[in-house]
Amino acid sequence: MESNLSYTEALSKLEEIVEQIEDDSIMLDTLTEKVAQANELIKYCEAKLRTIEGDVRDVLKA
Amino acid sequence: MKLINKSIPSIRLSDFISEIEDCIAATFYGDTFWITTEISDVNKKPDKRWCYLKLIEKEGKNVTAEIGAVFWTPGYAYIEKFEKETKQLFKDGLEITCRVKVTFHKRWGLKLEIVEIDYAYTLGKLEAERQETLERLVKENPDHVKLVGEQYYTYNKSLPLPTVVQRIALITAPESDGQRDFKQELINNPYGYAFHVDEFITQIQGDKAHEFILGKLLLIEAQKEKYDVVAIVRGGGSQLDLKAFDNYDLAQTVASFPIPILTGIGHDRNTSIVDLMARQEKTPTKVANVIIQRNFQFEQNVLLLKERMTYTVDVLFTNAKNNLKEIKRFVKASNPLTILKKGFAIVKHDNVIVTNPADIEVGAEIQIQFDKETIHSTVTKKKKNGK
Repeated sequence: MESNLSYTEALSKLEEIVEQIEDDSIMLDTLTEKVAQANELIKYCEAKLRTIEGDVRDVLKA
Repeated sequence: MKLINKSIPSIRLSDFISEIEDCIAATFYGDTFWITTEISDVNKKPDKRWCYLKLIEKEGKNVTAEIGAVFWTPGYAYIEKFEKETKQLFKDGLEITCRVKVTFHKRWGLKLEIVEIDYAYTLGKLEAERQETLERLVKENPDHVKLVGEQYYTYNKSLPLPTVVQRIALITAPESDGQRDFKQELINNPYGYAFHVDEFITQIQGDKAHEFILGKLLLIEAQKEKYDVVAIVRGGGSQLDLKAFDNYDLAQTVASFPIPILTGIGHDRNTSIVDLMARQEKTPTKVANVIIQRNFQFEQNVLLLKERMTYTVDVLFTNAKNNLKEIKRFVKASNPLTILKKGFAIVKHDNVIVTNPADIEVGAEIQIQFDKETIHSTVTKKKKNGK
């Protein structure tokens, strides 16, 4: 996955995948692949969010 | 009256003066008279509660009538009352209406004893002068002074106070209570704000006071970028002689002055014309307080914004985290492995997932994938669910 993705970009990709997973007609083998992609994006978003929050709190404290 | 007779060469002075005295007494004794006059050579003796003065009348600059006058103790109280009511010092140049008694003393001669002053006359006259000055200000300075209803709007009053007031030009009398009160209030402000005060010390009372104050204002104007506000304060001491603050030139300068002016002239009854042209506070302490509160307001606003920002940031991150958590839960629930763990299995035929059992014939070899293992089996029988 691209590592220079912004939080918003990553989140919107993630939401797109979630929508595909929600689709009843999704095939099981595709589903596994989508879930893997989604998990990767979730991890990325979580890490990104932690970094951003840390930065913002530092600025607020200063 | 036989004053001079050739057969009698002279009479004694005292007899002669007695004759004069009799004459005067015959006409004036027991009567009092109301007169309107200008006063001069006022010489008060507060310890004795007497006051000597002259009553004069002028045509242009020439004195055309003059007579000595005096207040004895009973009349002296009227001087005090006059000063209290009119906020004017009883001094040379005033025009008054007073009730007099004609007195004659063998040694001291003719004098008018003043027994009462009609201070309402002086008050009326002062008020008329004041109104005249105000009308002139409005008429001659249409860009800087406007009267709406009973309210005077001036250019100076329309200038907004800076958001933070720190640099102050202070016009005040030397070593006065006003100067002390103002600075004390600023220094002792409970929030620890720092101020820079430049003092423009001047005489604030007396005939030339308006010129001195005006001079200081011009001095401040020449370096206007150095100051946030101008404070004109006076306080303590006499409540008399506020005339400088009713002066046309001074009022005009204040009305059009380019830095906001706050006045704390500290008089309870009348509002001076300068007060009407500027931001009026009652006392020097109140002027300082307004400045402190202005800064406090600013600090409050900043703190409030900071609070709002922190709150918004909190909400923002909480929402983002919750959103992610929600997505995570959904993705986990949708993961086929999660489903298999619950006892479901995937049926494959030739490595292709079977979703429709009609595609499988009896005898076909299929793979059943569980969570951890896959079973290979052969279909022996097909039957619709529920039958």
